[in-house]
Amino acid sequence: MKTEARQQGLSRRRNIFPILIFCAVGALVSYFIGPDLYTQRILLLIILWAAASSSFNVISGYAGQVVFGYMMFVGTGAYTTVLLFKFLNISPWLGMWIGAIVAVLIALIIGLPTLRLHGAFFAIATIAFPLITFPILNHLGFEELSIPFTGHGASSMQFRDMRFYVFIALTLLALVLITVRIIESSRFGFALRALKQNETAAEGMGVNTYWNKLAAFLLSAGLGALMGTVYSFGLLYIATTHALFGLFIMVRILSITIVGGIATVWGPVIAACFLVPTGEFLNAQFGDRYPGVQDVIYGVALIVATLYMPEGIWGRIRRSFRAVLSKPAASMEREAGDEFQQKTGGKTTARDLPRFERIRSGTVETYNNGPILKIEAIDKSFGGVCALEKMNIEIPRSKVTGIIGPNGSGKTTLFNVINGYLTPDRGRVVFEDIDITHFKPHAACKVGIGRTFQVVQIFNNMTVLENIMIGAFNRQGDVSKAGAISEDIAHQMGLMSRAHDQAVGLTMWETKILEFSRALATEPKLLLVDEPMAGLNPEESNRIGEMIKGIAQSGITVIVIEHVVQSLVKIADWMIGLDEGKKVAEGLPQEVISNPHMIEAYLGTKWRRRHVRS
Amino acid sequence: MEILIESIISGILIGLSYAVLAAGLALIFGVMKIINFAHAEFAVLAMYFPTYWFLNWWGIDPFLSAFIALPIFLVLGYIIHRLLIEKIIGTPEAETSTLIVTLGLSLLISNIILIGWSGAPRIINQPYTMATWSVADVLINRAQTYSFVISLGLIVGLFVFLNRTFIGKAIKAAADDPEGCAYMGINLHFVYALAFGLGIAVTAAGGCLMATYRPFHPFFGETIVIILFASVILGGMTSITGALLGGLIIGLVQQVSVLVIPVELQNVAVFTILVFFLYVRPQGLLGKKGRAV
Repeated sequence: MKTEARQQGLSRRRNIFPILIFCAVGALVSYFIGPDLYTQRILLLIILWAAASSSFNVISGYAGQVVFGYMMFVGTGAYTTVLLFKFLNISPWLGMWIGAIVAVLIALIIGLPTLRLHGAFFAIATIAFPLITFPILNHLGFEELSIPFTGHGASSMQFRDMRFYVFIALTLLALVLITVRIIESSRFGFALRALKQNETAAEGMGVNTYWNKLAAFLLSAGLGALMGTVYSFGLLYIATTHALFGLFIMVRILSITIVGGIATVWGPVIAACFLVPTGEFLNAQFGDRYPGVQDVIYGVALIVATLYMPEGIWGRIRRSFRAVLSKPAASMEREAGDEFQQKTGGKTTARDLPRFERIRSGTVETYNNGPILKIEAIDKSFGGVCALEKMNIEIPRSKVTGIIGPNGSGKTTLFNVINGYLTPDRGRVVFEDIDITHFKPHAACKVGIGRTFQVVQIFNNMTVLENIMIGAFNRQGDVSKAGAISEDIAHQMGLMSRAHDQAVGLTMWETKILEFSRALATEPKLLLVDEPMAGLNPEESNRIGEMIKGIAQSGITVIVIEHVVQSLVKIADWMIGLDEGKKVAEGLPQEVISNPHMIEAYLGTKWRRRHVRS
Repeated sequence: MEILIESIISGILIGLSYAVLAAGLALIFGVMKIINFAHAEFAVLAMYFPTYWFLNWWGIDPFLSAFIALPIFLVLGYIIHRLLIEKIIGTPEAETSTLIVTLGLSLLISNIILIGWSGAPRIINQPYTMATWSVADVLINRAQTYSFVISLGLIVGLFVFLNRTFIGKAIKAAADDPEGCAYMGINLHFVYALAFGLGIAVTAAGGCLMATYRPFHPFFGETIVIILFASVILGGMTSITGALLGGLIIGLVQQVSVLVIPVELQNVAVFTILVFFLYVRPQGLLGKKGRAV
């Protein structure tokens, strides 16, 4: 364990080293170029735009919530510092941090309500704020704020030699890049990637999507505000609403991020290295005759990159790099997988699946005989259509409970009410004596309710192992431990041969198994399984059935929704029949399927009259 | 009292031109579920070309230009959709990607205007620009009145086109159920591009009308884009009727609020409405609340 921890520390340090080296090299280059104003200016611009784009990348790249009004935070940071310096004579060194705090507070005000919005609404909401700050600041007479010159001196962040600003900016860039790198390799980073790809699934796996997004948003805002200060002191000298709240800032940051590579550490840096000098060169050459030429370049770069190279330069480099590197590694893994498969009989089979010692020891602490879940008088309707009506159900502990019913009988709605995707209109859901009626899915997952989905919900652009890790993070904050747990589960479930493949390429059977693995990694006491056999052939259905039985034998209560009544009868210990949002039958499986009401629900009254009476 | 009535009347007059601009945006969002961030910039482009330059070169009246702009921008919108938007529609990130692309496009358009025709603010100088009617001590701007009438005509025309012609019906059907349309033999590529072109054309015509009574500059779009967003959100995003209503309300609020707050801050009132609706009633005035999951 100790060596593992040390190894992880080492790898983290190794991750940070290149950033430090890059910034040190940047400082050396700047030092040896000498005090040439023009070159240093461009160097400073590159560093600052790289820093701003990387900060933006946290919320918009990693968390996937594109904040179209990001200039709000750059501007807030700069304006706060300049105003404090101008009117209260507070040193910009202190001011920049106050600016960052103000930006974070504004981000909190903007983010708290808007992060609940999706897509278009989120974009409009965030861009509306800077668009309106612009005229307000102009009205207050702050359209142009010259930074008072108090003589060159360190305390007022006013240097004759541009190199000082370059050093400050490099320190800032290092801070931003290291932050991004740490996020990338932490539980937080995994949560962001997960919620970016599939918010529903992330919630179901115990990720509090809202708070994670908010945290990323605040972090992004604070870092952007720091950039704003250095930008206005090092380059602008006169802070203007146009230069700090203008739309062109957004286009610059977006194009640098997208051209370089969304959600990468080095992408924005690389893109800034050639986009910024190109823009500046064009501006110097043609700026007099064509004043908007620089923004035209950024606009074109943005459009072209979005259309033709959405993964960005670094994304493409990384992919080809990995393709070259991973060939030998992949073949090795496949061998290990082959060995495993030989032991288990050539196929990934269900026979070896029901061994969940680890999971069992972790979750089922107390044994009592009462029902694990009580659903009390639940009503749920959608705009007048009753999906669930006066539903009363008790789920026996450590058993497989089957729920059957024709289409639209409220089965999936019932699941959604249990684990918090829907809130019932009336009634209570009680799990292990905790009232979870108003719990969100991530909270339900925390108390021990796992879930698989009718339409498979996996994180497509993550590897199989990473998918399982998202589940494991529900109980385990440490990345390497979560990784170990996930490998264990992948082994047990027979997914090891695919562990490092992207989930998007899995077969139907494998995605089903992956969903089970991920749900088991959250260490649930109760597992909700929604139509596990849909889309599988009879043999695979049988295997899934055996697996579900195995899970229940290990002490986890399972509720299964299934259309294929025959398969369900084989595995269920207890069965509940639903029809039109009401419970119409409950009992042993054989009783429920011979219940006249159930037969009628499935096959209609005529059929019942003809066959049941005889 | 006269001032209040004047504000209300000019609110309605200006509101309807916002409504025309917003209708184009709502049409595009309704059909393709994408936001065209460059929407206001197309209106600004139309203020320069054809409106301003046709008047200066050949003395063509801006109100005539509004109708000349329709086919020009229909084709322009069609081409832009084929070249840019079509490539990203249907991808999982379509909503964000189109916003990014159109944001780039908006900057591109305004800077091309800046490069081509300089940043100097322009005014249309026609006899009716500053002229007024006076009805019982209430002064009404003539240019705004003419714009109002033509806007009404445009709106009626748009509704007739969408409800009475085959292509219009195809556009409405594609908004409801694109897959079903494709199965019925409707060419979605064509319908989408046409809807995009139509949205741009209506907005461009609205821009021409607005140019008759408002000075403009290459970055004028940044000031009206928030008004357009507020109008469509008020109207529930996808509904053209809603956007018209939204535009009218926004126009009224803006003009009446000037009585209380400084002119430069008239958009603050608009912004307040926008934020209120975003947070409290994102489905807008006419929209229905959707299901949770």
